[in-house]
Amino acid sequence: MILREELRWKELAARPFRACFAMLITGMATFALASQTRAETGDELIQKLRTVEANDKSNQMSAKVAKQIRAQKDVKLLSVLKAMNGATPLGRNWLLGVANSIYQQSGASQTAELKAFLADTTQNDEARYTVFHWLSQNDEAIRKSMLASMREDPSQELRYLAVKDAIDAKPSTPELESLLQAARHPEQVTGIIESLKEAGVAVDQAKHFGFLMDWKLIGPFDHVGTANFDKVFPVEADAIAQSEKAEYDGKNGKVSWISKSTENVQGELDLAEVFSNEKGCIVYALAEFDSPTETEAELRLGCINGNKAWINGKLIMSNEVYHTSMQIDQYVERVALKAGKNRILLKLCQNEQKEQWAQRFAFQLRVSDFTGKAILAKGR
Amino acid sequence: MFSLNQRFFNRTLGAMLGLGFAAGFSDARAYEDWPQFRGVNASSVSNDSKLPVEFGGESKSNIAWQTKLPGRSVGGAIVVGDQVITTSSSGMDQRRLHLISLNQQDGSIRWQQELVARGRPFCHPTSANAAPTPASDGKNVYAFYSSNDLACVDLEGNLVWYRSLSTDFPKAGNDVGMSSSPLVVDGVCIVQVECQGDSFAAGLSCEDGSILWKRERPKQANWASPVAIQNPAKENMVVMQSRENLVALDPKSGKELWVVDMPCSTIPSAMAVDGRLLVPASGITALDLSSVGASPSKLWDNNKLSANACSPLVVGSRIYTISRTVLACADIYSGELKWQARLTDAKSIWSSPVVANNLLYIFTEEGKCLVVRLGDEKGEVVATNDMGESVLGSPAISGNAMYVRGISSLWKIAEK
Repeated sequence: MILREELRWKELAARPFRACFAMLITGMATFALASQTRAETGDELIQKLRTVEANDKSNQMSAKVAKQIRAQKDVKLLSVLKAMNGATPLGRNWLLGVANSIYQQSGASQTAELKAFLADTTQNDEARYTVFHWLSQNDEAIRKSMLASMREDPSQELRYLAVKDAIDAKPSTPELESLLQAARHPEQVTGIIESLKEAGVAVDQAKHFGFLMDWKLIGPFDHVGTANFDKVFPVEADAIAQSEKAEYDGKNGKVSWISKSTENVQGELDLAEVFSNEKGCIVYALAEFDSPTETEAELRLGCINGNKAWINGKLIMSNEVYHTSMQIDQYVERVALKAGKNRILLKLCQNEQKEQWAQRFAFQLRVSDFTGKAILAKGR
Repeated sequence: MFSLNQRFFNRTLGAMLGLGFAAGFSDARAYEDWPQFRGVNASSVSNDSKLPVEFGGESKSNIAWQTKLPGRSVGGAIVVGDQVITTSSSGMDQRRLHLISLNQQDGSIRWQQELVARGRPFCHPTSANAAPTPASDGKNVYAFYSSNDLACVDLEGNLVWYRSLSTDFPKAGNDVGMSSSPLVVDGVCIVQVECQGDSFAAGLSCEDGSILWKRERPKQANWASPVAIQNPAKENMVVMQSRENLVALDPKSGKELWVVDMPCSTIPSAMAVDGRLLVPASGITALDLSSVGASPSKLWDNNKLSANACSPLVVGSRIYTISRTVLACADIYSGELKWQARLTDAKSIWSSPVVANNLLYIFTEEGKCLVVRLGDEKGEVVATNDMGESVLGSPAISGNAMYVRGISSLWKIAEK
């Protein structure tokens, strides 16, 4: 009896809580339902696309959002373009896709706004390049006139086009010298230097690019069967720890560090020549870069062999690829340079392919700012 | 779910009927689809089409139109309805990825879509980031690039989904350039991304780009394209070549159905005809597809049928291969070599040839098109046409017109 009474009291006491709880749940459900049924605005949908990441879930969300945007009529072209600022790389592509569709439906009527967007260098580079393309695609005169003022544009794509246009116009020698300062893309820089050379103007190409010319090398170490790309040889551990010894056990006996400089205008160091065409081997290369200041920079490596790179003991690159190609700025990574001496360590791996085109064993490396302009070591 | 072939049969029939009523059956074949690399069934043949033998040159004879396009491409165009669709890559390092639709009738641009490469865009100077030929299921278009960017757009150019496979798998890539074309089968977009880094094949949902399956592949560069075939029970399979073997996969799950241990070529792609799979290997190897479930047995092989770059094709009972500048013909039932001909007007051939009305059209890197009349006993070069533009992609044929993707423009070749 007492038990039943207690239960009744408990039940009575619980009623207000239940009511509150029920109200809370109902309220939440109503809110959730309202949120679901309320169509998201164009701006809200655009914001979602800014954050796309590389996974199925994010991709599925993006596909749905893009579909919703297509069904909306209030999504503004300029809002989409502006949203590219700060968006993820994948998000920028989604936004670009949406922008292209809107532009083809209604963009031609917004020329003035698009011109203003292009002129605003705080906007996203990729968005500005696309707008440039829209504005100039059907009018060569407009294209040329716009590019004439873009040689120093923060957008590397626009700068590239502007420099290309100027090169195509067969510039005079003083104009070429001016273009050399504006150009960043290795092909353009190399071409301008060649043209200047033909005009009798000598340029220190290796210095202009900022290639590192002086290295300490050690090897060969065993890499038969391409088995040791990830093996940490004692020399590797020591060099990372900045405590390398003078001598190590190599693939064919004792090996020690040797100093080697290159005079190649593209900073290429020919390891096949230095190590007598050894195959199935690893060579380590060490250089010091005396940075004038503490700064963010880019390490730009060209290498036709498997490679890893460390700066001040921190691994920044790992590319297990052999004999596909070698070019300036093939692998680019952002790094933090400290003022003074920075140690750059490379692990360079040669495989055992026998084809004639698979015999090269070489690398080139330079330090630059984010636009590709050389950062030179102190005293160079 | 329609199979690709069923869907295209229906689309083509619909287009033929529609056009027939509209045009009094004057040109009922005008809008036949050529939906992928090498066309329907990857056959490269449209033998009912009548194309001009002579075209181009200074007079531009039988050139219905030529449209200049941004950037460059070494892939082929496809035809979907009245649209001709092609890719390009332009700008610094060819980072800009274009997908462009042109009106079949006049070559005017109907819509364009443009993205930025998120994978490595580098390639050999001969090639382009826009190297694979796009594919379509008649509803959407799937464009793949050397940088492993994969975009799906609808037939109005709206982006339906997009994947950067190099973002998903950062070591996927090859600085010589990739060129394997995507394949659409059973609602799955299938890509082969084979290189020394992250080497894989994957099937993505045509609906939303989700990765339905992914399989590790040999860590070697491979430019061959996946090929759809059917077993005797009419079930679709996808075959993939590598230097190690030939595998058949279930397109929906990626499950391995059979494997044949044979080193295959890594540039030209296989083709199936009359229950046979003709695989570029050391020459051509013919496999018997007549049994369900079992690995196919070898019927014959002939190392004189070497195919260094161009994929083989079959007309009637004859297979044709090109090794550098030598055209070879053999019997598909016995493998017996019937004849060979040196193409003296050609220097470099990368474009897989096509056949219309028993004429073989071979486009060269130097910008020529050799037209070869195919016979049982010999092949006769009946015309050498000057295009004035390098062609590396395989042409598309629709009705009585051929659409040729040059490096920087698209051509419509048709009798005037």
